[in-house]
Amino acid sequence: MSDFLNALRAEIHGIFADRQVRLIILVALVIYALVYPYPYRAELLRDVPVVLVDLDRSTSSADLARQVTASEAVTLSHDAPDMVAAIRLVQERRAYGVLLIPEGFERALLRGSQSPVALYADASYFLMYQRVMQGAAVPLRQLGAEVEMGRLIAQGTAPDVAFAQVSPAALVEVPLFNPAAGYATYVLPAAFVLILQQTMLMGLALVATRREADNGHPVWRVLGRMGAWVALYALLLPVYLIVLPGLYGLPNLGNVPTVLMLSLPFVLATGLLAQCIAALFKRGEVVQVVLLAVGLPFFFLSGFAWPVEAIPPHLNWLAQIIPSTAAIDGLVRVSQMGAALPEIADRLWHLWALVAIFASLAVSVELLARPSTNADHQDG
Amino acid sequence: MLAVMLREFRLILRRPALLGLVIVLPVVMLLALTGIFRAGIPTGMAVTVVDLDRSELSRSVTRMLDAAPEITVREQALSLSEARAQIVAGDTRGAIYMPEGLERDIIRGARPEIVIFYDNQHMSAGSMVARGARGAIDTALAGQRLSIRQGQGEAPVQATARIQPIPLQAHALFNPAFDYVHFLLAALVPTVLQIIAAAATAYAISLDFGPGRHLQVLARMADGVLPAMLGKILPYTLIFLLILGLSDIALYGWLGVPLRGSLILMATGAALFVVSVQLIGAAAFVLTRDMGRAASIIAVITAPAFGFMGLGFPGEAMSQLAQAWGALIPGTWYVQLRIDQSLRETPLDISVWSVVWLACIALLLGALVLLRLIRLRREIEATR
Repeated sequence: MSDFLNALRAEIHGIFADRQVRLIILVALVIYALVYPYPYRAELLRDVPVVLVDLDRSTSSADLARQVTASEAVTLSHDAPDMVAAIRLVQERRAYGVLLIPEGFERALLRGSQSPVALYADASYFLMYQRVMQGAAVPLRQLGAEVEMGRLIAQGTAPDVAFAQVSPAALVEVPLFNPAAGYATYVLPAAFVLILQQTMLMGLALVATRREADNGHPVWRVLGRMGAWVALYALLLPVYLIVLPGLYGLPNLGNVPTVLMLSLPFVLATGLLAQCIAALFKRGEVVQVVLLAVGLPFFFLSGFAWPVEAIPPHLNWLAQIIPSTAAIDGLVRVSQMGAALPEIADRLWHLWALVAIFASLAVSVELLARPSTNADHQDG
Repeated sequence: MLAVMLREFRLILRRPALLGLVIVLPVVMLLALTGIFRAGIPTGMAVTVVDLDRSELSRSVTRMLDAAPEITVREQALSLSEARAQIVAGDTRGAIYMPEGLERDIIRGARPEIVIFYDNQHMSAGSMVARGARGAIDTALAGQRLSIRQGQGEAPVQATARIQPIPLQAHALFNPAFDYVHFLLAALVPTVLQIIAAAATAYAISLDFGPGRHLQVLARMADGVLPAMLGKILPYTLIFLLILGLSDIALYGWLGVPLRGSLILMATGAALFVVSVQLIGAAAFVLTRDMGRAASIIAVITAPAFGFMGLGFPGEAMSQLAQAWGALIPGTWYVQLRIDQSLRETPLDISVWSVVWLACIALLLGALVLLRLIRLRREIEATR
């Protein structure tokens, strides 16, 4: 038991006495909390500028343009005489789409035949493309329905029958979570988990590379360190995953005990992984560079931003070794989607399995390192 | 300077840590990223159907849903709460609800509701599921409308024209195949390389310029502190440009990302990008003279850089300050240049500005490093 307490004390000392580790575990956490969410503060994409190329110049085409501009998603900000000028505006990034109303638009409508319009949306930016398509397609469909209904009524169909015929069923779309489709609400809850993991890996791996040989049974030493991490992150993690999202105004449906239940194996698995990484790379500078580089790939591997359905199976299998993969999925489901413990039980077991695997690796590292440190002592 | 460069190459081969950081790490990361995005746009995402109608129509809607490439009908649920629980647990990504009496109400003209529920917390997947479901249901309903009109004696061609008076011809500008994936990859590669190049350069410099190292020997070898620094930096410039070049051959050659612009401009941009990123690393080190603190500065600048590039959430929607911060990071301009010259076929007079900005950043950082080096030279001369 005294081995346990000694290791715990040594680890706490290792974290707080080292300026660089303090910098990473505490200061970097604060800086990232400020810098990382900064681009997404606006949350929503409104009134994306689109160029209008109106070759018809009729009452109907002006009507159509007005309806598109009235939508929340896009606004017809520029008028261009032809497609060449319009594309140039898009290439300059002053607009993200072109609405082309061809000559003879109104004539075709009045004649009762099909009268197509063309929409060119900038597909080099996914979100812009979606907004432009959505913003223009909805008013266009509405206008089309009005035209069709007008024709049916003119033929003598009763208005309510005409309405039902134009649109036999109402299609309602209900986003179950993040109803406003806010970008910060989408990406931050997952990003905070990853930031926590990366700073923790980096800081604790540095402690491990700089640790002097300590005595005691290897199992107690590892357990003692685990105790130190739990003590430290019992303070840091709730601030980062519960208070901070609150400060950014993110919705929180989760209950605190479930978040903590899931966080415990996450913290342990991450800390133990840091021991393995330190043993693998040995030098502090190398550990830091490696962990910096893997942050973004880890995020995409977690299957959050990039759906797991699109990740090749063997890579997905490898991704399961990283604690953030199960932790991001589980924690986002608990805090943003209100999942209860049974619904995320497999993530919880997954994280505990990682704890078991990394713990046995960390103890083996201790056992392997031990003879040499003992020899050092004898030499000294 | 050449002597220092040659020494550096020998050093890289001798030191496994250096070799690992500048060659193995970037190559592994690039392979991992390519692996993640290789498969392309996700397909077959699971949805639940809550079919309370069990009619000919509701079954045909279900068939249409299953046929949509984005989604697969994996579950049938008896109630909405059951469907919701499946979404929360992550078994499915959305649910389509068809109420009892759907077919009867449609025939009666009562306009019943069909509801698509989707998980918008996982926005990228959720929006694709919603789009797929919407398309499938629209198709099914259009079939319904067509059969009503045909029942009234309209010819099929005529009826098809009538139900859609203003068809929308949608075009994906610059990216007709809507190959978003490889485009994302083309931007992620420089982002990860930016982190590695800055950190590895700082690390390499720390090996000679750090406290307690023999900078004098190196300076004598290169005939000055400045050539010594250049000799330290340039070998890595070559290595990172080579890695970037190889990954571009893979991207534009093997994966077939279109390359429609000026190669010379791309190459100039790449060289300026690598140099300015390395100068971030160099500046971080000469300012702090401590690898730990330098790594922290590099981490704060390069690790969140992806968000500021505006690839996910567009730059135009960010605040002025966020845009300004993004403009100071070399990767922002280089990624913009790559997109402009590979997909968008942007005319040179617009695109050249990205290169100009990259040059400005490189000059600014170069001046900063130079100023510190001049002071360092004075220190060395004073100790002599």
